[in-house]
Amino acid sequence: MQIKNVLIQSSLAAVVVALVGVGYASMAGTPGTADANPDGEKIWAQTCNRCHNVRSPNTYTDAQWDVALMHMRVRANLTAEQYRLILDYLKTHN
Amino acid sequence: MNMKVPLAAIVPVCLTLCGAQGGLPARAADSPETAMSAPPPTGFVTRAEFDELRAEVDATKATARATLPGTSEFNLAGYGSAGLVYQENEGDRLFYATFNPLFLWKLSDRLLFEGELEFELEGDETDTALEQAHLAYLLDDYVTADAGKFLNPMDAFVERFHMAWVNHLPDKPLAVYDGLLPESIVGAQLRGGVPVGPAQVTYAVFAGNAPALVTDTNADPGTLSFDNFSNPDGHFVYGGHIGFLPVPALEVGYGLMAGNVAPSGGDDVSALMQSVDFNGVLDSTVLSGMVRLNAQWVWSRLGTFNYGVDAFDNNRDGGYAQIAYRPTKWGIPALGKFEPVYRYDVLEQKDTPTGTNERRNTVGLNYWLTAMTVVKAAYQLDSTDGGVDHNAVLVQFATGF
Repeated sequence: MQIKNVLIQSSLAAVVVALVGVGYASMAGTPGTADANPDGEKIWAQTCNRCHNVRSPNTYTDAQWDVALMHMRVRANLTAEQYRLILDYLKTHN
Repeated sequence: MNMKVPLAAIVPVCLTLCGAQGGLPARAADSPETAMSAPPPTGFVTRAEFDELRAEVDATKATARATLPGTSEFNLAGYGSAGLVYQENEGDRLFYATFNPLFLWKLSDRLLFEGELEFELEGDETDTALEQAHLAYLLDDYVTADAGKFLNPMDAFVERFHMAWVNHLPDKPLAVYDGLLPESIVGAQLRGGVPVGPAQVTYAVFAGNAPALVTDTNADPGTLSFDNFSNPDGHFVYGGHIGFLPVPALEVGYGLMAGNVAPSGGDDVSALMQSVDFNGVLDSTVLSGMVRLNAQWVWSRLGTFNYGVDAFDNNRDGGYAQIAYRPTKWGIPALGKFEPVYRYDVLEQKDTPTGTNERRNTVGLNYWLTAMTVVKAAYQLDSTDGGVDHNAVLVQFATGF
Protein backbone atom coordinates (compact mmCIF):
# COMPACT_ATOMS: atom_id res chain seq x y z
CA MET A 1 0.00 0.00 0.00
CA GLN A 2 2.81 2.37 0.97
CA ILE A 3 4.76 1.56 -2.21
CA LYS A 4 1.63 2.02 -4.29
CA ASN A 5 1.04 5.45 -2.80
CA VAL A 6 4.65 6.46 -3.39
CA LEU A 7 4.38 5.32 -7.01
CA ILE A 8 1.16 7.24 -7.53
CA GLN A 9 2.61 10.37 -6.00
CA SER A 10 5.86 10.06 -7.96
CA SER A 11 3.97 9.58 -11.21
CA LEU A 12 1.79 12.59 -10.53
CA ALA A 13 4.79 14.69 -9.63
CA ALA A 14 6.50 13.66 -12.87
CA VAL A 15 3.44 14.57 -14.93
CA VAL A 16 3.15 17.92 -13.21
CA VAL A 17 6.82 18.74 -13.67
CA ALA A 18 6.64 17.76 -17.34
CA LEU A 19 3.54 19.89 -17.92
CA VAL A 20 5.06 22.84 -16.13
CA GLY A 21 8.20 22.57 -18.20
CA VAL A 22 6.41 22.27 -21.51
CA GLY A 23 3.82 24.86 -20.66
CA TYR A 24 6.03 27.60 -19.35
CA ALA A 25 8.56 26.94 -22.09
CA SER A 26 5.77 27.68 -24.55
CA MET A 27 4.80 30.80 -22.60
CA ALA A 28 8.34 32.11 -22.65
CA GLY A 29 7.85 33.21 -26.22
CA THR A 30 4.60 35.01 -25.53
CA PRO A 31 5.06 38.75 -25.97
CA GLY A 32 4.75 40.59 -22.71
CA THR A 33 4.91 37.53 -20.54
CA ALA A 34 8.16 38.63 -18.97
CA ASP A 35 6.77 42.12 -18.46
CA ALA A 36 8.87 43.41 -21.37
CA ASN A 37 5.98 45.43 -22.70
CA PRO A 38 3.29 45.29 -20.11
CA ASP A 39 -0.16 46.61 -20.80
CA GLY A 40 -3.48 46.28 -19.10
CA GLU A 41 -4.89 43.50 -21.24
CA LYS A 42 -1.90 41.20 -20.80
CA ILE A 43 -1.63 41.83 -17.07
CA TRP A 44 -5.38 41.40 -16.70
CA ALA A 45 -5.37 38.14 -18.63
CA GLN A 46 -2.39 36.62 -16.87
CA THR A 47 -2.66 37.95 -13.35
CA CYS A 48 -6.40 37.47 -12.85
CA ASN A 49 -6.43 34.15 -14.67
CA ARG A 50 -3.81 32.76 -12.30
CA CYS A 51 -6.53 32.18 -9.72
CA HIS A 52 -9.86 32.31 -11.57
CA ASN A 53 -11.52 32.68 -14.95
CA VAL A 54 -11.48 36.30 -16.01
CA ARG A 55 -14.73 38.26 -16.07
CA SER A 56 -15.59 40.06 -19.27
CA PRO A 57 -14.89 43.81 -18.96
CA ASN A 58 -18.57 44.51 -19.64
CA THR A 59 -19.58 42.62 -16.49
CA TYR A 60 -19.31 45.87 -14.53
CA THR A 61 -19.69 49.59 -15.01
CA ASP A 62 -16.72 51.90 -14.50
CA ALA A 63 -17.85 52.63 -10.94
CA GLN A 64 -18.21 48.93 -10.14
CA TRP A 65 -14.77 48.13 -11.56
CA ASP A 66 -13.32 50.89 -9.36
CA VAL A 67 -14.47 48.98 -6.30
CA ALA A 68 -13.94 45.43 -7.53
CA LEU A 69 -10.40 46.09 -8.68
CA MET A 70 -9.43 47.86 -5.47
CA HIS A 71 -10.62 44.71 -3.71
CA MET A 72 -8.42 42.60 -6.00
CA ARG A 73 -5.47 44.95 -5.55
CA VAL A 74 -5.54 44.14 -1.84
CA ARG A 75 -6.37 40.44 -2.19
CA ALA A 76 -3.93 39.61 -4.99
CA ASN A 77 -1.15 41.96 -3.85
CA LEU A 78 -1.20 43.92 -7.10
CA THR A 79 1.20 46.83 -7.37
CA ALA A 80 -0.24 50.27 -8.01
CA GLU A 81 1.04 50.14 -11.60
CA GLN A 82 -0.64 46.79 -12.30
CA TYR A 83 -3.84 48.10 -10.71
CA ARG A 84 -3.87 51.22 -12.88
CA LEU A 85 -3.13 49.35 -16.12
CA ILE A 86 -5.79 46.70 -15.52
CA LEU A 87 -8.39 49.25 -14.43
CA ASP A 88 -7.70 51.40 -17.48
CA TYR A 89 -8.09 48.37 -19.75
CA LEU A 90 -11.35 47.28 -18.13
CA LYS A 91 -12.86 50.78 -18.23
CA THR A 92 -12.04 51.23 -21.89
CA HIS A 93 -13.43 47.83 -22.90
CA ASN A 94 -16.65 47.59 -20.90
CA MET B 1 -44.93 70.61 -45.79
CA ASN B 2 -45.70 69.99 -42.15
CA MET B 3 -42.91 67.50 -41.37
CA LYS B 4 -42.94 65.85 -37.93
CA VAL B 5 -39.83 64.30 -36.49
CA PRO B 6 -40.49 61.20 -34.41
CA LEU B 7 -39.94 61.69 -30.69
CA ALA B 8 -37.61 58.72 -30.54
CA ALA B 9 -35.26 60.50 -32.91
CA ILE B 10 -35.28 63.76 -30.98
CA VAL B 11 -34.55 62.38 -27.50
CA PRO B 12 -31.05 61.07 -28.37
CA VAL B 13 -30.22 64.38 -30.03
CA CYS B 14 -31.27 66.30 -26.95
CA LEU B 15 -29.32 63.95 -24.70
CA THR B 16 -26.27 64.39 -26.90
CA LEU B 17 -26.62 68.15 -26.67
CA CYS B 18 -26.84 67.87 -22.89
CA GLY B 19 -23.67 65.79 -22.90
CA ALA B 20 -21.90 68.28 -25.18
CA GLN B 21 -22.60 70.96 -22.63
CA GLY B 22 -20.44 69.18 -20.11
CA GLY B 23 -22.70 66.52 -18.72
CA LEU B 24 -25.81 67.33 -16.79
CA PRO B 25 -26.36 71.09 -16.45
CA ALA B 26 -27.46 72.60 -13.18
CA ARG B 27 -31.17 72.86 -12.55
CA ALA B 28 -31.15 76.64 -12.78
CA ALA B 29 -30.00 76.47 -16.38
CA ASP B 30 -32.53 73.89 -17.37
CA SER B 31 -35.59 76.06 -17.88
CA PRO B 32 -36.95 75.98 -21.40
CA GLU B 33 -36.15 79.67 -21.76
CA THR B 34 -32.41 79.27 -21.15
CA ALA B 35 -31.35 75.68 -21.77
CA MET B 36 -33.42 75.09 -24.88
CA SER B 37 -34.71 77.68 -27.26
CA ALA B 38 -38.34 77.72 -28.31
CA PRO B 39 -39.38 75.57 -31.23
CA PRO B 40 -38.36 76.98 -34.58
CA PRO B 41 -41.07 79.10 -36.19
CA THR B 42 -41.37 76.80 -39.16
CA GLY B 43 -41.69 74.05 -36.57
CA PHE B 44 -40.93 70.40 -36.85
CA VAL B 45 -42.84 69.66 -33.66
CA THR B 46 -45.90 71.10 -32.04
CA ARG B 47 -45.78 72.91 -28.71
CA ALA B 48 -47.43 69.99 -27.01
CA GLU B 49 -44.85 67.61 -28.42
CA PHE B 50 -42.07 69.95 -27.35
CA ASP B 51 -43.40 70.05 -23.79
CA GLU B 52 -43.67 66.29 -23.76
CA LEU B 53 -40.09 66.03 -24.97
CA ARG B 54 -38.97 68.52 -22.33
CA ALA B 55 -40.59 66.40 -19.64
CA GLU B 56 -38.92 63.29 -20.93
CA VAL B 57 -35.51 64.95 -20.97
CA ASP B 58 -35.98 66.16 -17.40
CA ALA B 59 -37.00 62.70 -16.30
CA THR B 60 -34.01 61.16 -18.05
CA LYS B 61 -31.67 63.62 -16.35
CA ALA B 62 -33.13 62.79 -12.97
CA THR B 63 -32.66 59.09 -13.64
CA ALA B 64 -29.06 59.65 -14.72
CA ARG B 65 -28.30 61.70 -11.60
CA ALA B 66 -29.68 58.93 -9.42
CA THR B 67 -27.16 56.47 -10.85
CA LEU B 68 -24.09 58.67 -10.42
CA PRO B 69 -21.77 57.39 -7.67
CA GLY B 70 -21.04 59.51 -4.67
CA THR B 71 -17.64 59.72 -3.06
CA SER B 72 -18.27 56.32 -1.43
CA GLU B 73 -18.59 53.58 -4.05
CA PHE B 74 -20.23 50.25 -3.34
CA ASN B 75 -20.22 46.89 -5.06
CA LEU B 76 -22.01 43.71 -4.07
CA ALA B 77 -20.06 40.62 -5.12
CA GLY B 78 -19.86 37.09 -3.77
CA TYR B 79 -20.93 33.60 -4.70
CA GLY B 80 -23.49 30.91 -4.12
CA SER B 81 -23.66 27.16 -4.52
CA ALA B 82 -26.00 24.22 -4.40
CA GLY B 83 -24.95 20.60 -4.37
CA LEU B 84 -25.19 16.99 -3.39
CA VAL B 85 -22.88 14.85 -1.25
CA TYR B 86 -23.44 11.10 -1.27
CA GLN B 87 -20.88 9.21 0.81
CA GLU B 88 -20.69 5.44 1.16
CA ASN B 89 -20.52 3.62 4.49
CA GLU B 90 -23.10 5.75 6.26
CA GLY B 91 -21.31 8.99 5.62
CA ASP B 92 -22.94 12.27 4.70
CA ARG B 93 -25.85 12.07 2.28
CA LEU B 94 -27.43 15.42 1.67
CA PHE B 95 -28.33 18.23 -0.64
CA TYR B 96 -27.01 21.61 0.44
CA ALA B 97 -27.00 25.27 -0.50
CA THR B 98 -24.75 28.18 0.45
CA PHE B 99 -24.77 31.93 -0.12
CA ASN B 100 -21.78 34.21 0.46
CA PRO B 101 -22.47 37.89 -0.24
CA LEU B 102 -19.36 40.07 -0.27
CA PHE B 103 -19.97 43.75 0.44
CA LEU B 104 -17.29 46.11 -0.87
CA TRP B 105 -17.12 49.80 -0.10
CA LYS B 106 -14.47 52.00 -1.66
CA LEU B 107 -14.51 54.86 0.82
CA SER B 108 -11.74 56.83 -0.91
CA ASP B 109 -8.89 56.17 -3.32
CA ARG B 110 -6.99 54.62 -0.39
CA LEU B 111 -9.69 53.12 1.83
CA LEU B 112 -11.60 49.91 1.20
CA PHE B 113 -13.95 48.07 3.52
CA GLU B 114 -14.83 44.43 2.88
CA GLY B 115 -17.50 42.47 4.68
CA GLU B 116 -18.49 38.90 3.81
CA LEU B 117 -21.30 36.87 5.29
CA GLU B 118 -21.84 33.16 4.88
CA PHE B 119 -25.24 31.54 5.00
CA GLU B 120 -25.31 27.75 5.18
CA LEU B 121 -28.07 25.28 5.87
CA GLU B 122 -27.13 23.45 9.06
CA GLY B 123 -29.53 20.87 10.48
CA ASP B 124 -32.94 22.51 10.62
CA GLU B 125 -31.49 26.02 10.80
CA THR B 126 -29.60 28.49 8.65
CA ASP B 127 -26.09 28.96 9.96
CA THR B 128 -24.76 32.51 9.61
CA ALA B 129 -21.10 33.45 9.91
CA LEU B 130 -19.06 36.60 9.52
CA GLU B 131 -16.38 35.41 7.12
CA GLN B 132 -14.59 38.73 6.75
CA ALA B 133 -14.89 42.28 8.06
CA HIS B 134 -11.81 44.38 7.55
CA LEU B 135 -10.66 47.82 6.52
CA ALA B 136 -7.71 48.21 4.15
CA TYR B 137 -5.70 51.39 3.70
CA LEU B 138 -3.29 51.75 0.78
CA LEU B 139 -0.21 53.31 2.38
CA ASP B 140 1.69 53.59 -0.90
CA ASP B 141 2.19 51.76 -4.19
CA TYR B 142 3.58 48.66 -2.50
CA VAL B 143 2.17 48.53 1.06
CA THR B 144 -1.39 48.09 2.28
CA ALA B 145 -2.35 48.15 5.96
CA ASP B 146 -5.37 46.04 6.83
CA ALA B 147 -7.17 45.29 10.10
CA GLY B 148 -10.19 43.29 11.17
CA LYS B 149 -11.22 39.74 10.36
CA PHE B 150 -9.50 38.76 7.15
CA LEU B 151 -8.77 35.53 5.28
CA ASN B 152 -5.62 33.79 6.51
CA PRO B 153 -2.80 35.22 4.36
CA MET B 154 -0.46 32.26 4.93
CA ASP B 155 -2.97 29.76 3.51
CA ALA B 156 -3.01 30.17 -0.27
CA PHE B 157 -6.03 27.92 -0.80
CA VAL B 158 -8.13 29.80 1.72
CA GLU B 159 -7.18 33.23 0.47
CA ARG B 160 -7.36 32.59 -3.27
CA PHE B 161 -9.18 29.37 -4.14
CA HIS B 162 -11.82 28.34 -1.61
CA MET B 163 -14.70 30.28 -3.22
CA ALA B 164 -17.14 27.85 -4.81
CA TRP B 165 -16.84 29.34 -8.31
CA VAL B 166 -13.01 29.42 -8.08
CA ASN B 167 -12.50 25.98 -6.52
CA HIS B 168 -12.48 23.42 -9.34
CA LEU B 169 -13.95 20.52 -7.37
CA PRO B 170 -17.20 20.35 -5.40
CA ASP B 171 -15.44 19.92 -2.06
CA LYS B 172 -12.32 21.41 -0.51
CA PRO B 173 -8.96 19.72 0.03
CA LEU B 174 -7.99 18.13 3.33
CA ALA B 175 -5.60 19.91 5.68
CA VAL B 176 -5.61 23.32 3.96
CA TYR B 177 -9.30 24.08 4.58
CA ASP B 178 -11.09 23.30 7.82
CA GLY B 179 -7.99 21.33 8.76
CA LEU B 180 -4.61 22.37 10.04
CA LEU B 181 -4.76 26.12 9.43
CA PRO B 182 -7.22 28.84 10.41
CA GLU B 183 -9.42 30.17 7.64
CA SER B 184 -9.35 33.69 9.02
CA ILE B 185 -7.29 35.85 11.32
CA VAL B 186 -8.69 38.49 13.64
CA GLY B 187 -5.88 41.01 13.79
CA ALA B 188 -3.88 43.29 11.53
CA GLN B 189 -1.64 42.82 8.54
CA LEU B 190 0.67 44.61 6.13
CA ARG B 191 0.74 43.28 2.57
CA GLY B 192 1.60 44.12 -0.99
CA GLY B 193 3.52 43.28 -4.11
CA VAL B 194 6.91 44.52 -5.30
CA PRO B 195 8.32 44.14 -8.83
CA VAL B 196 11.78 42.58 -8.95
CA GLY B 197 13.06 42.94 -12.50
CA PRO B 198 10.69 41.01 -14.76
CA ALA B 199 9.41 39.03 -11.76
CA GLN B 200 7.35 40.00 -8.73
CA VAL B 201 7.45 39.29 -5.02
CA THR B 202 4.30 39.37 -2.89
CA TYR B 203 4.25 39.49 0.88
CA ALA B 204 1.98 39.62 3.92
CA VAL B 205 2.87 39.85 7.61
CA PHE B 206 0.25 39.68 10.31
CA ALA B 207 -0.52 39.42 14.02
CA GLY B 208 -3.78 38.16 15.45
CA ASN B 209 -5.61 36.16 18.08
CA ALA B 210 -4.03 32.77 18.65
CA PRO B 211 -5.99 29.55 18.08
CA ALA B 212 -7.04 27.73 21.24
CA LEU B 213 -5.63 24.30 22.11
CA VAL B 214 -8.34 21.68 22.52
CA THR B 215 -7.61 19.89 25.82
CA ASP B 216 -10.93 18.07 26.35
CA THR B 217 -10.18 14.35 26.00
CA ASN B 218 -13.68 13.85 24.57
CA ALA B 219 -13.17 16.40 21.80
CA ASP B 220 -10.10 15.43 19.78
CA PRO B 221 -7.41 16.65 22.21
CA GLY B 222 -4.34 18.25 20.72
CA THR B 223 -6.16 19.85 17.82
CA LEU B 224 -6.64 23.60 17.54
CA SER B 225 -9.88 25.53 17.67
CA PHE B 226 -9.63 28.38 15.20
CA ASP B 227 -12.88 30.05 16.25
CA ASN B 228 -11.15 31.77 19.13
CA PHE B 229 -12.67 35.19 18.62
CA SER B 230 -12.85 36.23 22.27
CA ASN B 231 -9.26 35.07 22.87
CA PRO B 232 -9.78 34.28 26.59
CA ASP B 233 -6.21 33.05 26.97
CA GLY B 234 -4.78 36.31 25.69
CA HIS B 235 -2.29 34.76 23.28
CA PHE B 236 -1.34 36.07 19.87
CA VAL B 237 0.08 34.48 16.74
CA TYR B 238 2.44 36.09 14.28
CA GLY B 239 3.04 35.04 10.73
CA GLY B 240 3.19 35.84 7.10
CA HIS B 241 3.47 34.67 3.55
CA ILE B 242 5.94 35.41 0.81
CA GLY B 243 5.31 34.61 -2.83
CA PHE B 244 7.56 34.67 -5.88
CA LEU B 245 6.13 35.12 -9.37
CA PRO B 246 8.72 34.46 -12.08
CA VAL B 247 5.92 35.13 -14.59
CA PRO B 248 2.50 36.64 -13.83
CA ALA B 249 0.75 33.30 -14.29
CA LEU B 250 2.77 31.39 -11.69
CA GLU B 251 3.27 31.91 -7.95
CA VAL B 252 5.34 29.85 -5.55
CA GLY B 253 4.87 30.71 -1.90
CA TYR B 254 5.83 29.98 1.68
CA GLY B 255 3.72 30.78 4.72
CA LEU B 256 4.37 30.59 8.43
CA MET B 257 2.43 31.17 11.62
CA ALA B 258 3.68 30.76 15.19
CA GLY B 259 2.57 31.53 18.72
CA ASN B 260 1.59 30.26 22.14
CA VAL B 261 -1.70 28.33 22.25
CA ALA B 262 -1.70 27.18 25.89
CA PRO B 263 -4.85 27.40 28.00
CA SER B 264 -4.98 30.16 30.63
CA GLY B 265 -2.56 29.70 33.49
CA GLY B 266 -0.76 26.72 31.99
CA ASP B 267 2.78 26.33 30.73
CA ASP B 268 3.44 27.63 27.25
CA VAL B 269 2.49 25.38 24.35
CA SER B 270 4.15 26.47 21.16
CA ALA B 271 2.45 26.16 17.80
CA LEU B 272 4.30 26.35 14.50
CA MET B 273 2.41 26.01 11.24
CA GLN B 274 4.13 26.18 7.86
CA SER B 275 2.87 25.95 4.33
CA VAL B 276 4.35 25.82 0.85
CA ASP B 277 2.18 26.47 -2.18
CA PHE B 278 2.45 26.35 -5.95
CA ASN B 279 -0.26 27.86 -8.12
CA GLY B 280 -0.16 28.53 -11.81
CA VAL B 281 -2.05 28.49 -15.07
CA LEU B 282 -0.76 27.64 -18.52
CA ASP B 283 -2.79 29.00 -21.41
CA SER B 284 -0.75 27.29 -24.05
CA THR B 285 -1.08 26.56 -27.74
CA VAL B 286 1.36 23.68 -27.27
CA LEU B 287 -1.08 22.08 -24.85
CA SER B 288 -4.11 23.18 -26.93
CA GLY B 289 -5.80 24.64 -23.90
CA MET B 290 -5.51 25.86 -20.37
CA VAL B 291 -3.93 23.85 -17.59
CA ARG B 292 -4.33 24.84 -13.96
CA LEU B 293 -1.91 23.51 -11.38
CA ASN B 294 -2.44 23.94 -7.67
CA ALA B 295 -0.54 22.34 -4.83
CA GLN B 296 -0.03 23.08 -1.16
CA TRP B 297 1.50 21.23 1.77
CA VAL B 298 1.09 22.11 5.44
CA TRP B 299 3.06 21.15 8.54
CA SER B 300 1.57 21.65 11.99
CA ARG B 301 3.81 21.23 15.03
CA LEU B 302 2.51 21.73 18.56
CA GLY B 303 4.46 21.55 21.81
CA THR B 304 3.76 19.08 24.58
CA PHE B 305 0.85 19.32 26.99
CA ASN B 306 -0.51 16.94 29.61
CA TYR B 307 -3.94 16.07 28.25
CA GLY B 308 -4.44 13.18 30.64
CA VAL B 309 -3.87 10.63 27.88
CA ASP B 310 -0.71 8.86 26.73
CA ALA B 311 1.92 11.35 25.61
CA PHE B 312 2.17 11.88 21.83
CA ASP B 313 4.05 13.99 19.32
CA ASN B 314 1.48 16.47 18.13
CA ASN B 315 2.61 16.59 14.51
CA ARG B 316 0.05 16.73 11.71
CA ASP B 317 0.75 17.16 8.01
CA GLY B 318 -1.34 17.34 4.91
CA GLY B 319 -2.00 18.97 1.61
CA TYR B 320 -3.12 18.52 -1.95
CA ALA B 321 -2.08 18.58 -5.58
CA GLN B 322 -4.60 19.32 -8.31
CA ILE B 323 -4.56 19.58 -12.06
CA ALA B 324 -7.37 20.82 -14.31
CA TYR B 325 -7.42 21.10 -18.08
CA ARG B 326 -9.73 23.00 -20.43
CA PRO B 327 -9.34 22.16 -24.13
CA THR B 328 -9.96 25.72 -25.28
CA LYS B 329 -7.70 25.64 -28.35
CA TRP B 330 -9.01 22.59 -30.17
CA GLY B 331 -11.17 24.69 -32.47
CA ILE B 332 -14.35 23.23 -30.98
CA PRO B 333 -15.99 25.89 -28.76
CA ALA B 334 -18.34 23.41 -27.08
CA LEU B 335 -15.39 21.25 -26.04
CA GLY B 336 -13.71 24.21 -24.35
CA LYS B 337 -16.55 24.42 -21.83
CA PHE B 338 -15.59 21.07 -20.31
CA GLU B 339 -12.84 20.70 -17.76
CA PRO B 340 -11.60 17.41 -16.34
CA VAL B 341 -10.00 17.74 -12.90
CA TYR B 342 -7.91 15.45 -10.72
CA ARG B 343 -6.93 16.04 -7.11
CA TYR B 344 -4.93 14.04 -4.59
CA ASP B 345 -5.21 15.19 -0.98
CA VAL B 346 -3.87 13.91 2.31
CA LEU B 347 -4.24 14.49 6.04
CA GLU B 348 -1.79 12.60 8.26
CA GLN B 349 -2.50 12.52 11.99
CA LYS B 350 -2.22 8.81 12.78
CA ASP B 351 0.17 9.32 15.70
CA THR B 352 -2.16 11.70 17.51
CA PRO B 353 -5.35 10.92 19.47
CA THR B 354 -7.25 11.52 16.22
CA GLY B 355 -5.58 8.33 15.01
CA THR B 356 -6.16 8.49 11.26
CA ASN B 357 -4.29 9.02 8.03
CA GLU B 358 -6.66 9.93 5.22
CA ARG B 359 -5.85 9.92 1.51
CA ARG B 360 -8.29 10.77 -1.28
CA ASN B 361 -8.20 10.59 -5.04
CA THR B 362 -10.89 12.71 -6.67
CA VAL B 363 -11.74 12.79 -10.36
CA GLY B 364 -14.15 15.41 -11.61
CA LEU B 365 -15.65 16.89 -14.73
CA ASN B 366 -16.78 20.51 -14.89
CA TYR B 367 -18.99 22.26 -17.40
CA TRP B 368 -18.58 26.02 -17.51
CA LEU B 369 -21.84 27.77 -18.39
CA THR B 370 -20.12 31.16 -18.15
CA ALA B 371 -16.74 32.32 -16.89
CA MET B 372 -18.16 32.39 -13.37
CA THR B 373 -20.83 29.71 -13.39
CA VAL B 374 -19.98 26.04 -13.35
CA VAL B 375 -21.55 22.64 -12.88
CA LYS B 376 -19.18 20.16 -11.23
CA ALA B 377 -19.46 16.41 -10.83
CA ALA B 378 -16.86 14.24 -9.14
CA TYR B 379 -16.17 10.82 -7.71
CA GLN B 380 -13.95 10.51 -4.67
CA LEU B 381 -11.99 7.44 -3.61
CA ASP B 382 -11.27 7.68 0.10
CA SER B 383 -8.74 5.66 2.06
CA THR B 384 -8.71 6.27 5.80
CA ASP B 385 -6.10 4.36 7.74
CA GLY B 386 -7.52 4.03 11.24
CA GLY B 387 -11.05 4.97 10.21
CA VAL B 388 -13.88 4.30 7.79
CA ASP B 389 -13.47 4.90 4.05
CA HIS B 390 -16.08 7.26 2.67
CA ASN B 391 -16.03 7.04 -1.11
CA ALA B 392 -18.35 9.70 -2.41
CA VAL B 393 -20.27 11.15 -5.32
CA LEU B 394 -20.15 14.93 -5.31
CA VAL B 395 -22.17 17.33 -7.45
CA GLN B 396 -22.19 21.10 -7.23
CA PHE B 397 -23.62 24.07 -9.09
CA ALA B 398 -21.68 27.22 -8.30
CA THR B 399 -21.76 30.80 -9.45
CA GLY B 400 -19.86 33.98 -8.67
CA PHE B 401 -21.29 37.44 -9.10
